[in-house]
Amino acid sequence: MDSICDQACIVGIGHTEYSKDSGRSELKLACEAIGAAIEDAGLCPADIDGITKFSMDNNDVVDISRSLGIPHLRFFSEIPYGGGGGPLGTVLLAAMAVATGQASAVVAFRAMNERSGRGTLRFGQASTAAGAAGAASYAAPYGLFSPAQMVALAAQRHMHLYGTESKHFGEVAVACRHHANLNPDATMYRRPMTIEDHQNSRMITTPLRLYDCCLETDGGAAVVVTRSDRARDLRQRPVYIASGGLGGGPWNHRFMVRDIESPKTEATIIAERLFTDAGITHADIDVIFVYDHFTPLVLMALEEFGFCERGEGKDFVGGGRLRWPDGELPLNTSGGNLSEGYIHGMQNTIEAVRQLRGTARCQVSDAKHVFVSAGNAVPTSAMILKGAI
Amino acid sequence: MSAQSNFPYPIPEYGSEPYWAACNELRLVMQRCATCEKFRWQPAPLCTFCAGEEFAWTPLSGRGKITTWTVVTHPVHPAAVERVPYVVVEVELEEQAGLRMLSNLLEIDLGSIAIGALVTVDFIEHAAGQMLPVFRLTTSQEEI
Repeated sequence: MDSICDQACIVGIGHTEYSKDSGRSELKLACEAIGAAIEDAGLCPADIDGITKFSMDNNDVVDISRSLGIPHLRFFSEIPYGGGGGPLGTVLLAAMAVATGQASAVVAFRAMNERSGRGTLRFGQASTAAGAAGAASYAAPYGLFSPAQMVALAAQRHMHLYGTESKHFGEVAVACRHHANLNPDATMYRRPMTIEDHQNSRMITTPLRLYDCCLETDGGAAVVVTRSDRARDLRQRPVYIASGGLGGGPWNHRFMVRDIESPKTEATIIAERLFTDAGITHADIDVIFVYDHFTPLVLMALEEFGFCERGEGKDFVGGGRLRWPDGELPLNTSGGNLSEGYIHGMQNTIEAVRQLRGTARCQVSDAKHVFVSAGNAVPTSAMILKGAI
Repeated sequence: MSAQSNFPYPIPEYGSEPYWAACNELRLVMQRCATCEKFRWQPAPLCTFCAGEEFAWTPLSGRGKITTWTVVTHPVHPAAVERVPYVVVEVELEEQAGLRMLSNLLEIDLGSIAIGALVTVDFIEHAAGQMLPVFRLTTSQEEI
């Protein structure tokens, strides 16, 4: 085995509704999402013997196995860096576990009450602790707290170096909102947005406006992964993991401040292998899921994953390229973190699977290869999925 | 912006105590590697360029230029409510390319902030008593 290519498949997907207040515990959300994914796969909890999770997720794998009636766990693991490591890293861990025979069927999930704050503190709010230690001791005393504020610094420098403008960030927001308006499950369904609306949205931290920032959401999302030879006998059309990777390095800070001029980034490290392992090029990708915590980081991800050159993101996102059905490379076709719901990217992973099953609402006709990336500005993860081998 | 901060105060730790102690003496210091002579930021036990162990806490001129900035207008911390709008800057210090630290830019016309503008360190007192290095625009900007 030279790589993970074609060894494992995503065979089940499940999620809860996406809301501002779920009205139930994070454990309940996890069990609902995982239960739905297991059922979607045509499996039962007794068939599951592994769980992978985001380190940040408050749920405990033993609580989940007890609640769902998973009789034993042969594999459990977790991955750090929130929406960076999590949404594909958990799937990659699951794939590695089943490919090596350490487990038979593994669920990867994320569940949180991030918007209501009932269990998870809102990421957009600062800790009210009186003192700040570690890396935060060099930021919090200056009022630099939130991911948005940190990303604003990188966005400002991108604008300075490359001539990027706010309206280019708006292209990302509008594409995601366009797709959310075709998705009744999306938080922003029936809330259309134009570039003008984006430009008129209130400033949060220059140059980031309200509509440059993702939602905050209560909800859960999960996938089931098994070995490819088993996957063919299950209920759903298998979605093959063509490649996957994690990336990070000394240029990553302990918070989301970026050195955007660094030749190597968390994205370039993954890009070095992702397309080679999958045996394809960027031109073979039919749909992209680029983690949309903040619109400027989508431009940077497109550049650093090699869809365009550094600094060309502003031109790449224009001309309706990212919008289904006419755009040549539709982005986040269920609405993304910006407009569907913010389940730390796991909702994008699920929609990528739908595209390859042919069941997406904004279905790209004959989609064969899908690119999915996780949150950048922190160590991150990415995958290429495909519908057949 | 008042010349005092009531955002969270920095907690000095093993490895960072000399930095904060120097701030209280109104001096900006950073670790300089004894092997490759490069400064590093933030404080770290080994040189981030050559992994050298030996270093000296070395004074900086306090002069630098703005490499990026944001004006925070939406408060996400109770103390921010009366502080917005306030300016967070990244400053590249003149001693070394890429030696960048985060801070505040004080007493600035919000419409006139520019990447590349020259700045000079100053110190303000945190409500908890710790002095914090902050920056002001350098009076003479001829070198831009």
